[in-house]
Amino acid sequence: MNLLGKAKDLLGRASASNDPLVDDLVDALGSDAVKVDAAHRALYAHDASVFDAGFAGPTCYPETTEQVVAIMAVAEKHGRAVVPRGAGTGLAGGAIPLGAPVIVALTKMNQIHDVDTVNRVAWVGPGVVNLDLTNHLRPFGFHFAPDPSSQQVCTIGGNVANNSGGPHCLAYGVTDAHVAAVEVVLIDGSVAMLGGLEDEPDGLDLRGAFVGSEGTLGIATKVAVRITKNPPAVTTLLLSFDSVADAANTVSEVIAAGVVPAAMEVMDQRITVAVENYVGAGYPRDAAAVLLAEVEGLEAGVALDAKKISEIGRANNATQVRVAATDEERALLWKGRKTAFGAIAQIAPDYYLHDTVVPRAKLAAVLEQVYEIADRHDVIVMNVFHAGDGNLHPLLLFDRTVEGTLERVHAAGAEIVRASLDAGGVLSGEHGVGVEKQPYMAEMFTDADLDHQNRLRQSFDPVCRANPGKVLPMGHSCADIQSLRQTPPGVWG
Amino acid sequence: MDLHLNKEELNTCVQCGLCLPHCPTFRVTGDEAMSPRGRIKLMREVQDHDAPLTKEVIRSFETCVQCRGCEPACPSGVPYGHLMEQTRETLAEAGEITPLWQRLAFKPLEQPVALKMGSAALAIAAKAKLVPKRLGLPADLAVRQESLTASGDDLYLFTGCVMDAWQRDVHAAGQRVLEAAGFGVTPTGSLAPCCGALQAHAGLLDTTRDLAQTMMSSLSGDDRPILVDSAGCGAAMKDYGHLLGTPEAQAFSARVFDIQEWLAQHVASLPKVEPLDLVVAVQDPCHLRHVQKVHLATRTVLAPFVRQLVELDDDGLCCGAGGAFSVLEPELAGDIRARKVDAIQRVSPDVVASANPGCSMHLGGAGVATEHPMTLIDRALTT
Repeated sequence: MNLLGKAKDLLGRASASNDPLVDDLVDALGSDAVKVDAAHRALYAHDASVFDAGFAGPTCYPETTEQVVAIMAVAEKHGRAVVPRGAGTGLAGGAIPLGAPVIVALTKMNQIHDVDTVNRVAWVGPGVVNLDLTNHLRPFGFHFAPDPSSQQVCTIGGNVANNSGGPHCLAYGVTDAHVAAVEVVLIDGSVAMLGGLEDEPDGLDLRGAFVGSEGTLGIATKVAVRITKNPPAVTTLLLSFDSVADAANTVSEVIAAGVVPAAMEVMDQRITVAVENYVGAGYPRDAAAVLLAEVEGLEAGVALDAKKISEIGRANNATQVRVAATDEERALLWKGRKTAFGAIAQIAPDYYLHDTVVPRAKLAAVLEQVYEIADRHDVIVMNVFHAGDGNLHPLLLFDRTVEGTLERVHAAGAEIVRASLDAGGVLSGEHGVGVEKQPYMAEMFTDADLDHQNRLRQSFDPVCRANPGKVLPMGHSCADIQSLRQTPPGVWG
Repeated sequence: MDLHLNKEELNTCVQCGLCLPHCPTFRVTGDEAMSPRGRIKLMREVQDHDAPLTKEVIRSFETCVQCRGCEPACPSGVPYGHLMEQTRETLAEAGEITPLWQRLAFKPLEQPVALKMGSAALAIAAKAKLVPKRLGLPADLAVRQESLTASGDDLYLFTGCVMDAWQRDVHAAGQRVLEAAGFGVTPTGSLAPCCGALQAHAGLLDTTRDLAQTMMSSLSGDDRPILVDSAGCGAAMKDYGHLLGTPEAQAFSARVFDIQEWLAQHVASLPKVEPLDLVVAVQDPCHLRHVQKVHLATRTVLAPFVRQLVELDDDGLCCGAGGAFSVLEPELAGDIRARKVDAIQRVSPDVVASANPGCSMHLGGAGVATEHPMTLIDRALTT
């Protein structure tokens, strides 16, 4: 660092902080990479979810594994928690800072280090944007298969933390199936490599434990992702229905018939109209539900699968079956599906998105319950979901400035979750547990289950400083969530 | 502090974050405060929750390039450009941004004679190597420029302020191309000295309103289309309807066309000639692509006149020019430009076509060969 930089650091420190934690972080990273002002603390107090903001400590922007190690050392010295953050698009509150933690923003660790098409692996930084990776791989004829709807902005680190899914995970599996190895900085500052590039690594699958751990086991600083060859042929079909149940039953029958499409997505009428207003992709505004199905593979097989899906759709009263004629049309249809959540502000300023999974055969019945529950609580609901794997995304729309609305939304949400669990489903398809689903964990798991999960967590982080207050519910977690929500004494008034 | 932002407009943001990768300042900093979502959140904090206007909050607003790349990315249709313009107007009125030296620096734009004298002086200074390079000002200004004369009254060609002083050759080329397509052209010259775009970006919207009124009254009297060969000016003039909110202003804005947008409808009227033996990368100025949304016209118009058109793979991300942004924020603008230069190098063109003078100067500052689509077409037609 040059003299001017040092002088700026000294000045910056004198004016920015009376806090030894911040001073140590600035010493380790330089003043440009540590933000503690009120604006940053407000911005980093929440993610894209609807849950109460937390309380952010300093936000750091490391660029190397060594800098993450240094942050861990400083946090340990000051006994402060650490919360990793990617693009902040999480919907379950996983990146909401509890207990005034040091926030580790990984957006600058966005290098694609190496692409190995022979072994089908790429080494990437955790801050690499999901779609950037796929775009980078295009000239090689490959892509990264997990494609969350937020893929244009969400990061690989976030995908690993949440074990993210996406429309095309129906055929390819979720993130876990596409991560070979992870370089992790543990809470004590040591660096570990979990997993490996061999097909069958020896020992316990700690990589598997880490994927989906939502920042509670450490921070990923480098990820070896498996890359997938682009298919030779792709066909996208859009089927319209007069009822959501017909669409849901079509999905269930397609899978039962032995066809596994790359993706099968359903949107109900309300969300379809909002989406169509934005993209103008030709989605029918008058259909009660649309099913977007995509098949890929060898040309002959694709044609057969597409025919089969059309037939099953028609047998379930599809009013229209459209096949996307060009790549542009396909892209536009997908753009609509993938921006659906954002498009709802046309209707209401806030949304709460659920993420339960139910057995495919029960899709139609649970959906009926979802509409009934929302009606009863006087909440607008829209349904858009990864139908192929039974992953529901009921969107509850509201305006939080109207008194009492948020309570009704949460009450309806709780009933929807219970209905899904009663149908034999699970809490989270892909968004993670975060702060959102903690209260339901005890309904999903027995005490013994939760104890074992907590023991695994404590073997990585005995002091509970890695993203405390997340995933495991109170009583099964070493952190008391209520106290984490309060401003710790001595931390900026 | 009341930023005078429309509550409904502010409410359209659901903080989903889909805008982040389309924001040039977020791309190079990874900092939420440098993102559209962050800036909107801070607008809310200031307006709705009385958060103090700290230097970091002002910094967040000041560093927005106003490229509006976030707008097409937003599924909820947040009118971000208007929110940011309004925020800046309130802050400028309160004396929080756009200090006096900047306000004075904008003054010559409204005074063609002063601007031309200043530019001639700058040209001489540049030849004597007296202009610091980091200012990003063009080093090859002409001390004297050819004059433009009317050839008919089918169309106005808006000539504006800085562009007329520094890049009149583009106007001349555009005029010749329009004439080749059979149109008689009236260059606006001193009829319409300045569109007010730079002033609007700086929060000096009253100046922009005055300039808009001046232009509207001097170009009134008939419905002649007004063609603009600077994407930033065209976007500003198309926005007069919103800015002034009067039926006259709306009618005026409806007469404004980007020159490529207009020619794309008349490409068949242009003579068929041997295309230039060049591989040309199209760089979409943000105010052509994200604001006017007519960037595809550039391809339609240019394709018959060059050997090959190639596309950049950066999804139209801003180059960092941003009107006066590259001068006010040279470091950020340089980082943003580096990404664009990388994207250009990936397709290794002979020349980059840019339909905005700010972008071409900014990219030129990094050694990228740029030309306006009109000068390329003019060259093909005249050689």
